[in-house]
Amino acid sequence: MKRLSLFTKCLIIFIGCWVFLRFIVGNVISVPIPGSVIAMYMGLIIVAILVHISVEDTRFREFLRPIHETLVDNNRRVRRRVIAVLIPLFLLGYTYSIIAQRTNPPGNPRDAHPSPPLEITYKDEVIGATQEVENPFRHYEKDDPEAFRAHVENGKRVYYDNCFYCHGDDLDGQGHFAPHIQPLPANFQDPGIIPNFQESFLFWRISKGGPGLPAAGTPWDSAMPIWENYLTKDEIWDVILFLSDYTGYQPRTFGEGH
Amino acid sequence: MIRIQQILPNTKITHLILFLAIIPVLQFADAQNVPQASEEGKRVYEKSCAHCHGTEGRGDGSAAENLLPKPRDFTRGLYKIRSTEAGELPTDQDLLDIITKGMPGSSMPGWETALSANERREVVAYIKTFHDGFKEQESPPRQISLAGKIAYSEESVEIGKGLYTELGCIECHGNIGRGDGTSAPTLTDEWGFQTWPANLAQSWNFRGGSDTEDIFKRFIGGLAGSPMPAFEGDSFLNFGLTSAESKRLTELENRDEMTAAEEEESGQYYEKMDAAVNIALNIAEGTELSAEEQQTYTEAMKVVYEKSWHLANYVKSLAPEKRPEPAIGNNVLRSQYVTDALPAKTDAAWDTLESSHFPLVAQVIIEPRQFNPTIDSVNVKSFYNDTEVAFLFTWDDRTHTTAEEDEETGNILEDALAIQFPVKIPQGPTAPKPYFLWGGRLPVYLWQWKASAPDQVTELTAKGINNAEAQAVQSDIQAEGSYTNGQYTLWVKRALKTDDKKDLQLEPGVFVPIAFSAWDGANGDINTKRVISSWYAFVLEPVPSSKRFIYPPLVALLSVGLLLGLRGFVQRRNS
Repeated sequence: MKRLSLFTKCLIIFIGCWVFLRFIVGNVISVPIPGSVIAMYMGLIIVAILVHISVEDTRFREFLRPIHETLVDNNRRVRRRVIAVLIPLFLLGYTYSIIAQRTNPPGNPRDAHPSPPLEITYKDEVIGATQEVENPFRHYEKDDPEAFRAHVENGKRVYYDNCFYCHGDDLDGQGHFAPHIQPLPANFQDPGIIPNFQESFLFWRISKGGPGLPAAGTPWDSAMPIWENYLTKDEIWDVILFLSDYTGYQPRTFGEGH
Repeated sequence: MIRIQQILPNTKITHLILFLAIIPVLQFADAQNVPQASEEGKRVYEKSCAHCHGTEGRGDGSAAENLLPKPRDFTRGLYKIRSTEAGELPTDQDLLDIITKGMPGSSMPGWETALSANERREVVAYIKTFHDGFKEQESPPRQISLAGKIAYSEESVEIGKGLYTELGCIECHGNIGRGDGTSAPTLTDEWGFQTWPANLAQSWNFRGGSDTEDIFKRFIGGLAGSPMPAFEGDSFLNFGLTSAESKRLTELENRDEMTAAEEEESGQYYEKMDAAVNIALNIAEGTELSAEEQQTYTEAMKVVYEKSWHLANYVKSLAPEKRPEPAIGNNVLRSQYVTDALPAKTDAAWDTLESSHFPLVAQVIIEPRQFNPTIDSVNVKSFYNDTEVAFLFTWDDRTHTTAEEDEETGNILEDALAIQFPVKIPQGPTAPKPYFLWGGRLPVYLWQWKASAPDQVTELTAKGINNAEAQAVQSDIQAEGSYTNGQYTLWVKRALKTDDKKDLQLEPGVFVPIAFSAWDGANGDINTKRVISSWYAFVLEPVPSSKRFIYPPLVALLSVGLLLGLRGFVQRRNS
């Protein structure tokens, strides 16, 4: 078998790397890599190839030989003509596709972790500092399991009377009104939700809803109602107990590192 | 001769026989479990089902109050989605399928990920304990045979279309199936709750799935407990007659006068029909049939099965395979540029555009809330030119309500649509948009249309769902609305720019937030009781730059030049 020329080898490595990054990594191994990152990797590969071929003078000449032959040799006429047509055609199509591209709407960046206010309130009543307020019924879990069950049961009732429309029967954020709300309702089965927040934070999010989100970090667009208009304080605390009881996730407690 | 003992030792044979004996038992057990109040089934039921279906299966859990369709009352043994014939109970597989996949368009979710296969099976056995009929069941329910399936074809759809009218489907489901028949608003189910006939153009809301087989099974088995009858006996036109006889009878019935011979002929048909209907009644009552009666019934059902396949093919032809892609992400509503005047409402130019699909959800955020929406979505098309923009909105509504007094509240109800934009377009992706529910701190600009004044759109400014005001100065907005076959069409045209600071000003290439509210008067919708959407986006799609014809050839030419230059350079150096 004829040995591959250095130029062909380099070309194969270059194309191979691109195919690997663009298709193999993106579809088989993990999620697609952004175009700019691929471009950066490909730049590095070009530099590597250049370093490799320019280390020795003979190697550089060997690399250039096929290019040279294609450009001037009489017995490479067919290849020359094919290339002289293909390269301009490719550039024509590529430039056109860039210019004629449709403009797409701006993405919807979203800060998933709004900062809570310093104080937790219910309507206008101040309950306490966000860093100190605890679920008044949480201690029953150890002190009085029966009373605790009653609170969880009440939380369950509150949840299925009010929340499951959006947050789902299984608390997975897939209620029957959920699919067409933007942004999607929270999925409490996601380990990134309940364990990341203190109960005072959950109380704040439930009681003040979408309109109570801070001015910083917009756009929020949340469809979460202002539940303090419909639920009592105790009902909100109970539903928080239910969320963690059903999913098995414990809200973050004070003193734990973030 | 080889004897079996030569191949297998005796113990193995015993095992083999035992195993073979067990197979039918296993199969039976798999098909129909005995209703069984297992601890596991009860645990799963109480954890996942009771909040809607009630601890005792009466469909009266605490969440049931605001749901429509209501959660199933298991004590009656009436199940809508079955693979079994009229009057039969469902199979275990039917119940398992519903639990696994859920019922689209209702609040019943699929439990495939939330419950394990075993948990779902246990809960099926548990649900069956609520209805005695399952315990008394002597033989497995008669299954609907799918053997005679008639493949989808234009001819079959055409036959089905004829049957759709002939069988009276129109009365509830409307002329072309949008659920807008004359009796649609009057229907109640077995429990007295209001129920709407299916909109056959929205297959994604079919409770039991939208495959042709699914649709066919609904015809044969009926939707038990709902007004949708099973195709059998006196609920099927000309039951007992062949297709030819049926056609002939209709022909005779349509004559002003019949000859004596014709009278006699039609009399024979009526007798034949009566006999068949009586047999069907006997079956429902559990009476034994003679061989001859069985034969008559089988013949009659053969016709029903055949016609049902045609009708299923017709229903299948009325809706897309699935819900259109909602207009989110890059799939936004793009208004198309035209150089001339914008097309009028009925102009054929609208047919050249694809609709953008905007699903709507119930407004459950601010009291009074609407938990049971009847409007599914609104579809939008748009054109613009150098000075104006025109929109065509279409949405399905089963009833045409222009002014109807609500018996309970005395409110005057009517159908309506509102299209919402921000007053100021947010600059950049992190700039705040007004609250999607008719604004808040930031105001929104609205076009309000009402069915009672179909050719008029009012401009509103709102800073909250209960804080909207008609603008003192109304811009010149042209509008034309109409209602046909269960669907509203609204055409609206406005100048891109107005002099009013409270109006939205439009410019090509700028993405504009857009949202909708819709009211179905017959569903009690008024003020905050409505369906809504959160913010979507639309854009006046810029005319593609003419640069696209200049730069690419230039670049190509340049590359040819470079190649030639390179060759010249190499040649010169060689020589």
